[in-house]
Amino acid sequence: MSNNNSQGSIRFTGANIVYPNGTVGMKDLNLEIKPGEFVVIVGSSGAGKSTLLRAVNGLNRLTSGQIEVDGVAVPQKDGRELRLLRKRVGMIFQDFRLVKRLTVMSNVLIGRLAHVPGWRAMFNLWPAHDKEVAMKALERVGITEKAWIKASQLSGGQQQRVGIARALAQEPAIILADEPVASLDPVTTHQIMQDLVRINRELGITTLVNLHFLDLARKYGQRIIGLRFGELVYDGSAATVTDDDFRNIYGRDFTEDDVLDEDVID
Amino acid sequence: MAMVPPKPARNWPLWGGTIAFLVAMSWWSAHGIGFSLTELLCNSAGGTRLLQESWPPDFAFLPRLIDPFMETIYIAIVGTVVGGILSIPVAILAARNLTLGPIIWFADRNFMNILRTLPDLFWAMLFATAVGFGPVAGALALSVFTIAVISKLWSESLESIDMGMPEAVRACGGTWLQMVQFGAIPQGLQHYVSYALYAFELNVRASMVLGLVGAGGIGMILETQRANFEYERVTMIILAVLVAVLIIEQISESIRKRLA
Repeated sequence: MSNNNSQGSIRFTGANIVYPNGTVGMKDLNLEIKPGEFVVIVGSSGAGKSTLLRAVNGLNRLTSGQIEVDGVAVPQKDGRELRLLRKRVGMIFQDFRLVKRLTVMSNVLIGRLAHVPGWRAMFNLWPAHDKEVAMKALERVGITEKAWIKASQLSGGQQQRVGIARALAQEPAIILADEPVASLDPVTTHQIMQDLVRINRELGITTLVNLHFLDLARKYGQRIIGLRFGELVYDGSAATVTDDDFRNIYGRDFTEDDVLDEDVID
Repeated sequence: MAMVPPKPARNWPLWGGTIAFLVAMSWWSAHGIGFSLTELLCNSAGGTRLLQESWPPDFAFLPRLIDPFMETIYIAIVGTVVGGILSIPVAILAARNLTLGPIIWFADRNFMNILRTLPDLFWAMLFATAVGFGPVAGALALSVFTIAVISKLWSESLESIDMGMPEAVRACGGTWLQMVQFGAIPQGLQHYVSYALYAFELNVRASMVLGLVGAGGIGMILETQRANFEYERVTMIILAVLVAVLIIEQISESIRKRLA
């Protein structure tokens, strides 16, 4: 699972997204993310966290402006160029998005789709190398022994690990995690966050994580980006972020709904 | 406890109007086709005689039904398999959430509508003219019929799948075909099998009717025996068909229930 550390930079330049219903998802965003950074994006719901993440791999299209990944503009229409970009960008979802009736291995191999000739994937004739990559990805999240079990038989935390393994199987330069722990219990939440941090450290994959729990953002983030109505309102180190900063990001006092562990509010 | 609002009064003029409309429609239609109860009663003697001649069924004829009956089943199987395979792309392109573009979607929808609007008997006669009378024409007609049935039902069930998984495949850099294969079809597979079995049930029944217009199978025997006034044999055929259809439907239904 080699990963060139010089890869995985992202740059937003005057990027705007306005949805067809008029909602502003991203407003004049200028942002630079360096290779290997671990960035946590916070903001209340509807602040544009998902919009930002999904713009990086072209699931959301820009209304104006530009996003570059490693100096190459993210294509704004479907096609080969966009697929080539997505090949290098793994994504992890809140609802895991696994094929429940298939084995864990088959699910992780979906991460190899863009790496093998179409007919091989179609007839399930995966090259040994790709199976190896998938197995190593499972190893990295510690669920190798579940490889031949149906995804539906796993717990939520295990399913999210399969989700992470699928992203790792892409051998990506960037990982986008869209609320990866929002459907997990507190204990599993910390395990998954630790996994993401560890993978970021070990492989140097640029990682963008959307979180809505402030204490998680503070604990696991390296850099925190705050969004409000699609606008960048905070960008700084997780070590120095203050409660006032969070109040400003949310536009209100925060409550126990905004933290995972209620004790952190005094 | 909160007050329950009074039950609204029934809309009697609407009900009365609807019933009057239905009665008028029925009377007008019956008049149009010259339907008359008195005439029906006067002619009932002919019907009674036909029934008497049709009983008892000619069981000695049963062994001679096996071959044409198997032919009917073969026609139904070939029709279901060929139509079932062809219906896959037709259904996927007709599903709004999966199709390749508005023009293809529109063309495919209309293609499906045309297939469905024209009855299976029409297709049987068309193919009988094209490839000659016999089981091949029947199988072709049922293939078309199967495409019409499965693609309509399945495209609608595909439209209600969760698009999360297809999006995840796209996000990995997957192509449209991979999005369909890995993201959409696993969710729609159970429905597809269920609809294919349902189409097979319809096809067994339809292939008997198709025989009447010369598309082979047991329907063709039924037609020749009827033309020869061998009513006891006709009864035998109808009984055999009834039993066979019931058995096939039972099997198919129990499989479908297990899938659901």
